[in-house]
Amino acid sequence: MGSVFSAPIFFIMFRETTEAAIIVSVLLSFISQVIIDDPALYRRLRWHVWIGVLIGLIISLIIGGAFIAVWNSVAKNVFQTSEELWEGSFALIACVMITVMALAMLKSQDMQEKWRGKLSQSMDNMDNKKGVGKFTRKYALLILPMITVLREGLEAMIFVGGVTFEEEPKAIPLAAICGLLAGALVGFIIYRGGNRLALHRFFVFSTCFLLVIAAGLFAKAINAYEMDKWNKIVGGDADDAGSYDPRGNVWALSYGNPNDPNAGFAAFCNSVVGWNNIASVGTIVGYIVYWFVVIASVIFLKFKNRRARANATPVHVDEKAATAHIEKTAAALA
Amino acid sequence: MLFTTKVLAAFALTSAVAQAAIVTYNWNITYVMANPDGLFERRVIGVNGVFPPPPIEVTVNDTLVINVINQIDQPTSLHCHGLFQTGNNQMDGPSMVTQCPIPPGANFTYTIPIEQHGTYWIHGHHQGQYVDGLRAPLIIHNINETYQYDAEYTIAFADWYHDQHSVLLDQYLSIFNPSGAEPIPKSGLINQIPSATFNFVPGKTYRLRIINMSALAMFWFHIDGHEFEIIEVEGTDVEKYSTTAFHISAAQRYSVLVTARNDTSYNYVIHGDMDPMMFDSVPDDLVLNVTGTIVYNEASPLAPIETSDWPDFDDGSALVPVVAQDVTPQTVSYTLDAAFSILNDYINKATFNDITYVMPKVPTLHTVMSMGNLSSNPEVYGKFTHPYILNYNDEVEIIINNADAGNHPFHLHGHVFQVVGRGDGYYDGSTPYTYYNTTNPLRRDMIYVPSLTNAAIRFKANNPGVWFFHCHIEWHLQAGLAVTFIEAPDVMQKVLTIDPSHYEQCEALGIPAKGNAAGNEGLDMTGANVGPTDLPTGFTAKGIVALVFTIIAAILGLIVVVWYAGDDTKAIEEQVKKIKAKRALEGDAQ
Repeated sequence: MGSVFSAPIFFIMFRETTEAAIIVSVLLSFISQVIIDDPALYRRLRWHVWIGVLIGLIISLIIGGAFIAVWNSVAKNVFQTSEELWEGSFALIACVMITVMALAMLKSQDMQEKWRGKLSQSMDNMDNKKGVGKFTRKYALLILPMITVLREGLEAMIFVGGVTFEEEPKAIPLAAICGLLAGALVGFIIYRGGNRLALHRFFVFSTCFLLVIAAGLFAKAINAYEMDKWNKIVGGDADDAGSYDPRGNVWALSYGNPNDPNAGFAAFCNSVVGWNNIASVGTIVGYIVYWFVVIASVIFLKFKNRRARANATPVHVDEKAATAHIEKTAAALA
Repeated sequence: MLFTTKVLAAFALTSAVAQAAIVTYNWNITYVMANPDGLFERRVIGVNGVFPPPPIEVTVNDTLVINVINQIDQPTSLHCHGLFQTGNNQMDGPSMVTQCPIPPGANFTYTIPIEQHGTYWIHGHHQGQYVDGLRAPLIIHNINETYQYDAEYTIAFADWYHDQHSVLLDQYLSIFNPSGAEPIPKSGLINQIPSATFNFVPGKTYRLRIINMSALAMFWFHIDGHEFEIIEVEGTDVEKYSTTAFHISAAQRYSVLVTARNDTSYNYVIHGDMDPMMFDSVPDDLVLNVTGTIVYNEASPLAPIETSDWPDFDDGSALVPVVAQDVTPQTVSYTLDAAFSILNDYINKATFNDITYVMPKVPTLHTVMSMGNLSSNPEVYGKFTHPYILNYNDEVEIIINNADAGNHPFHLHGHVFQVVGRGDGYYDGSTPYTYYNTTNPLRRDMIYVPSLTNAAIRFKANNPGVWFFHCHIEWHLQAGLAVTFIEAPDVMQKVLTIDPSHYEQCEALGIPAKGNAAGNEGLDMTGANVGPTDLPTGFTAKGIVALVFTIIAAILGLIVVVWYAGDDTKAIEEQVKKIKAKRALEGDAQ
């Protein structure tokens, strides 16, 4: 893991930022539909949304960053002896989360539609809450995005925390920032109503990429568990000695070792596809099994989707409720 | 024919000296229960039901006869370490090099003319049996010793294990020991007894013969309260060399001269500090500093124990033989690179020049004697005995590169060699070797080569025989750090007489008594013992197949994902068309 760019982190940040950007664009478009005559109010409500998003983002970054820093230092010290075991478990968790995320990304035909539905329902819930105070009402369009972004952001930080356990610190910042910028860009394009087809194709591509990364993580998890077992038999850190269990070994190359500081390309391949210069029956079979599980899941989802569409009711977007909600907020501000 | 006559004449001369006696030892090799370090009783290999085996003492020109009866359940053999065995190669002892081992229940007689004097030892040379206790000092007195002393003691250091050697060997040569960590001894011993004492009488001069009989450990020797001088190194008397301490590695021997103190008010400690560098790790309960006592008066207290700062000196340049012998220019030079690596049996093995030693199916000496003209062809000995054919009277130089992280003491059978130079790092022959600036270098049969350094030794190939050259760390010998020097095979066939009992012994074990290393005739090596070689560094067939399948799985997965998204793609395409159409209409309307 010697590269300066961690692909898993890039994609996690990209995904989360994209979701946040979509939330912003949906809310802004709601507002622009409802507040037609009052430019000052329009601008004010838009500011609420932006500020809410920013506060949510900053809080989640602070909490998440602190969590990652503490977790990394504590975990690394406490779990030194079973380092491989923990690396393996986190790789496995990250793999499962990223796979689920990737398939979910694929499932929502239109992320905008999904968020329009979700947000309108949230506004409904807010209205139905008893004793919703004046403050909450006034700043509803600030609180709602803030909470949403906070939730999404913390989710991202936990993903990142799990994945950074085995990443080098210098591989994180660049990847995180690129992910943030890419996500913001995508949100902007969505808001401007850009080329939907290109965007959809881009989402499909990023799903594919996330699955490739997750497959690699699965192989890495198996490798970590096997290394831990071998370390315990041999009684030392086999990783340093470059030794491996000869039983069940499939290949052991003298080049392309991702742990070698000089083998940058090997480290990059390790990050993206889980490449290792030592492969065992376990890692190879595991990698192939992962893809078969994904294939089975996708085929299952496809047929479920087709059946659902056949009995279709489209995503329910209660436009009236959303409109009413925004009018109430505007009235409270006036 | 001249050389044969010389050799035969030398032999005749040796046996004609009138004073010579025939000194006979009857050794029944038996298992005994013993507890030499006082920590653990275990089964050991002893002699005549006794452990430790008693030392052998002879005088130069004697004939040493050892009648061995093997009463353990394993084959065995004995090697008199350091003895030249001139014209007597078949009595040298290393199993499958000069003899088949002695079958259980059988007997074998070693008849050895003693042609040298000094401090030596005798030990098992089959499957590391000496580590289980089959070892003893072998002291050869000179008729007129070079130095005067009143009495002498033998101080034989050894490391000691609690497990049987075969058990430890299985753990050492195992796929689960990829770093090649040698088993760590449980303790150190002096003379293989719990506590060694040496009585000193004030004013007398003593010769202390110091031997290291270890499997692995290196000891630093020093004596509290006494100065000493080195006077002999492995049979070579040297000019007195004064030092406060010196290190002695496995199988090396030194003699020192000590003068006793003039008062009996204190007793003093003799130290053998095991060097922790030889061990992979040092357990907390391992006592590295082994001690014995010089006793002036039983009632006297022990003088306070001193520590030594372990001063090092270069044996080759510091110690000067009393009998001078010039350095002769070499007529042939071999470089041996010693290294350790995991070979394709997945075990960490030792190699000289990338070849690991594996025993042949026929003892190499028997191959020489039975292959006629082919005995000069190295092929008949098999690749893995790593044979070097030397011509009679070659001036042989060997440069040893120790490319390993560990320190190794190397031993040449059948000779002493001159230590003519040492260097740092790896010697690749691109520059001239830097030899010592001396006309009388030290002669010995053990060369200690520290990690990542090199050393040069010289000897004259005037002793026809099959002589083993190997690291004397027993674990490393069994890991394959050995080569075989086949010195003047043509002369061997004329000069050596091997008793038929040696061949019968082979047959009793089901081992072919004659033939090439595979037990066949001529150059037919089918069935030869083959050793492991290097691991492949790239993809093998199964690796490529596995890689291809992983790529196929990934591509299939991605195809399915794109297929899944196909419905959505179509739907979006429709929507985009509708929006465009709508806009076009609106545009038209305006």
